[in-house]
Amino acid sequence: MTAGRPFRRLLVANRGEIAVRIIRACRELGIESIAVHSEADVDALHVRLADRSVLIGAASPAASYLSIDRIVAAAREAGADAVHPGYGFLSENAAFARAVEAAGIVFVGPPPAAIEALGDKLAARRAVAGAGVPLVPGLTVPLDDDVAIDPAQLGFPIMLKAAAGGGGRGMRRVNEAGELAAALAVARREAQTAFGDATVYAERLISPARHVEIQLLGDQHGHLVCLGERDCSVQRRNQKLVEESPSPAVTPQLRAAMFDCARRVAGTVAFHSAATVEFLLDVAGDHYFLEMNTRLQVEHGVTELVTGLDLVAWQIRIAAGEPLPDDLTDRTPSGHAIEVRLYAEDPWDGFRPVAGNVSAFRMPDGPGVRVDAGVEAGTRLPVDYDPLLAKLLVHAADRPAAIARLRRALDETLIGGVQTDAGFLRWLVDDDAFASGDYDTGLIAERWRDGPAADPAQLAIAGAVALAARIDAPASVAGAAPIAAGVRPWTDAARREGLSR
Amino acid sequence: MSDLEARIGGELVAPDGWRVDWVDRTAGLARVSDVTTSRLVLVEGSGTSWVVTVAGRRIAVIVESWRERTLAAADVTASAGGGPLDVKASLPGLVVSIAVATGSTVTAGEALLTIEAMKMQNEVRAPRDGIVGEVVVAAGSAVATGQLLLRLD
Repeated sequence: MTAGRPFRRLLVANRGEIAVRIIRACRELGIESIAVHSEADVDALHVRLADRSVLIGAASPAASYLSIDRIVAAAREAGADAVHPGYGFLSENAAFARAVEAAGIVFVGPPPAAIEALGDKLAARRAVAGAGVPLVPGLTVPLDDDVAIDPAQLGFPIMLKAAAGGGGRGMRRVNEAGELAAALAVARREAQTAFGDATVYAERLISPARHVEIQLLGDQHGHLVCLGERDCSVQRRNQKLVEESPSPAVTPQLRAAMFDCARRVAGTVAFHSAATVEFLLDVAGDHYFLEMNTRLQVEHGVTELVTGLDLVAWQIRIAAGEPLPDDLTDRTPSGHAIEVRLYAEDPWDGFRPVAGNVSAFRMPDGPGVRVDAGVEAGTRLPVDYDPLLAKLLVHAADRPAAIARLRRALDETLIGGVQTDAGFLRWLVDDDAFASGDYDTGLIAERWRDGPAADPAQLAIAGAVALAARIDAPASVAGAAPIAAGVRPWTDAARREGLSR
Repeated sequence: MSDLEARIGGELVAPDGWRVDWVDRTAGLARVSDVTTSRLVLVEGSGTSWVVTVAGRRIAVIVESWRERTLAAADVTASAGGGPLDVKASLPGLVVSIAVATGSTVTAGEALLTIEAMKMQNEVRAPRDGIVGEVVVAAGSAVATGQLLLRLD
């Protein structure tokens, strides 16, 4: 590895926790960080942590974080010599990568041609099939209104997917031919909103299935390594909530076979930087290629914990032309890491996203705990963006120890102002199927369903604390019954008698 | 001595056996313990209306005196009685489609309309059986939290 900093000034073309993550990597590499923000993010954490930030437009993503012109102009005016796109937004947009390069700025990511080839999921399916990689059976052409699905060929249920997609957006399960038209309309609309491209295709639904992915890291000198797998089978709305490495379902033989497939997929394009090859595993243990994401994943930290590598720093170094170390080879995960995603959403109401203010934000620490947060106490959550608040990661010697650590860490977590999925995650660590490792993508639908009712102890605690809160309310917020400071003998008496047994 | 009582979902809660110690009253952070366990919880709110976050779950608690409860009950009696129910937006977003019209008969849980927010299509479902009265919004309307969407008779 060469001495000195890879770049002088890097613009982070993203928001939230991933922008914070990249700013931290810049700090450690001695690179000046330039954030960008929309009008909704003026007070956001990533804006305050960066060396400086540029306002790029209105809250709507199209006017700000998805605006190639505005972000490239901001990078140019700031004098940035590199741009990191994070995940989501423009991270897999080849036109953005080309526009950055045309401005004489280095794009931290794979070559635009690779982004383009793999970003079109249909073209990727055709290319990958030619490389001898097993695919989920399905269409390799767009699903147009006049293309009738032949059930004999594909068979219901099927999964509709956005050709420009990824991250679970624009996906819809269709159980029978009669549901197709309505599902197609919704999938197209979501695809258009999320990716600006309404093209949809169909695959056979593999169920039950596990979602397992291989992390790739390659330099510009032909050195490519597979950094183990991540199991991402705890999902709602086809989106990941929990990721772990190693996967309880992956044997050394299967890992070797998936590494081989991942290399073949990457070999269909000229590739460098970080990327992920996603697979489905069926009950027989067979694996099927889903897609290759030519960007950093949300869950990259899991791999960082079990490999000891800083993937974001390596992305930046690789973009600057640095080679990977000669002795860096394919990795088997070391120890066990689990990530849980803390979202502003209500797991007791179908994991519905919620808006609001994060009034309190207490995250765990201690041995083996890592928190990547994009908010802090006082953050107002804009409705325009993904409601991910933070990622909580734990690392321990083995899976049972990692689960025990996660349980402890979740018990230390307290987020106020908005409902989060923390209660679901706390339930999950005690769930028998999750604890056994024998679970699939149906876990939430089959085992959580709408979640258990609050137990009597939780209700009693809530009642006790609410009573104490009203009795001890500070005079300024006491509402109906202001109390002079220091003069409240009856409240102390009530607390002793009623609550402190 | 105070006659305050705590209710969750209309049910009286007996807070027996739990000791509450403030870690930070201003922030609403408390340690709750019984003889065997102890945990941190968060409480937010004011007056009679509080929300306690325990084990990741936000639980709404009404804390009232007998007098306050009697007055509140009188209010509810005046406005309820199987009358119309306002269905409001639970989050801000864009109404993308409406599945019902004035006069539609709906059952509890049936989809009424779809609001796009946070990049997701969120279905608003009927909170109870009823007949759709006035539909206040149209497809394409931007709505704010708490805004009236339609009335259920």
